[in-house]
Amino acid sequence: MKYRYQVIPELCTGCRTCELACAFKFARDGKPGRSRIYPLAHAKDQYVPVVCFQCDDAACVRACMFDALRRNEETGAIDVDYERCVRCEACVAACPFGCALVDTGFDEIVKCDLCRGNPVCVKFCPESALRYVEIKD
Amino acid sequence: MVKLQINGKTVEAREGEMLLAVIKRQGIEVPTQCHHEAIEPTGNCRLCMVEITKKNWDGWKKSVTSCLYPVEEGLIVETHNDKLFEIRKTILDLQLARSPHSDYVRKMALDYGLEKSSYPVEPDGDDCIMCYACTRICEVLGKSAISPTQRGHQKVIAGPFGEAPPDCIGCLSCAHICPTDHIKWNDKGQTRTIWDKSFELIACSKCGKKTITREFADYLIEKRELPANYFEICDDCKRQETAEKIGSLVVRAREATI
Repeated sequence: MKYRYQVIPELCTGCRTCELACAFKFARDGKPGRSRIYPLAHAKDQYVPVVCFQCDDAACVRACMFDALRRNEETGAIDVDYERCVRCEACVAACPFGCALVDTGFDEIVKCDLCRGNPVCVKFCPESALRYVEIKD
Repeated sequence: MVKLQINGKTVEAREGEMLLAVIKRQGIEVPTQCHHEAIEPTGNCRLCMVEITKKNWDGWKKSVTSCLYPVEEGLIVETHNDKLFEIRKTILDLQLARSPHSDYVRKMALDYGLEKSSYPVEPDGDDCIMCYACTRICEVLGKSAISPTQRGHQKVIAGPFGEAPPDCIGCLSCAHICPTDHIKWNDKGQTRTIWDKSFELIACSKCGKKTITREFADYLIEKRELPANYFEICDDCKRQETAEKIGSLVVRAREATI
């Protein structure tokens, strides 16, 4: 069974619940700055949740000299293999969308891994602007 | 699949896999210093020593570095016993004599009941434990800028002829992988200094935030065929740009439907 993560920016109200959910799940202290999803305003009161696109030919994967970023075939996300990562920040510099991040608290490279196939942001989005839908062949 | 026995438990492993990987998968803790998944094992620290035997070896046992020993059918492995404890203790005892000021070595040695080295201590000893993780990661990167120089007790990790390495691109992989944090570097304003070499850090053209070094970006652009404009701005500004780009599409779509 395959799923696709969808962002529908028209429905986003900018409530930033996804950001909090993400920060609570990963950073545990709930600081919004340590989230992996960023609802950013492009005009007054108009928001777009910016999150990793899990690109097919991803710049982060190409930039990693140590093969620490790999596609997880089960979830479809690009995961960071922390056993291989040396924190050179090549992926952070290379991502054209700015979605590979450095978590200063853990001193680690972080990026959206779709919560290993169970994204919390989707569950918390009150407007269903974030969806995780099954792909039907 | 290969079947072997680790601490009395029969486990399965893939052909060609190293013993250490199988041991770790079983949740057994074997101390290591020079091991890292991104680099080839070389067995430098020798702390991952285990004792192996086979049924037809008539009770003979062999101590091997598990990071370098490929799995074999019918192998009987022991990871913790008195002999291995003594081997690991001796290694740490020697390291403590070489690097008496390293917190990393001191903490590890304390686990083996060593507060002070029983060997003559080098009072000015540096924190380098000669694990070569830095030189190996530089090799994986494709640069091999640093290597061991000199011989014997004078041996140090440095650039060619002990000078600033011309091939270094200031990526800090060596500094991050170093288990004892011996490799020192600093970022001051626009410059990064490591291995006595200075690099220019790329400043975001919008907000001025420093990212990676110009040399590292050029290397990635050339080696991994990445577009040069990816490296001009920082991740924060790139996220904002992404939001604005998608936002303008949303606005355009909305206007079209009206």
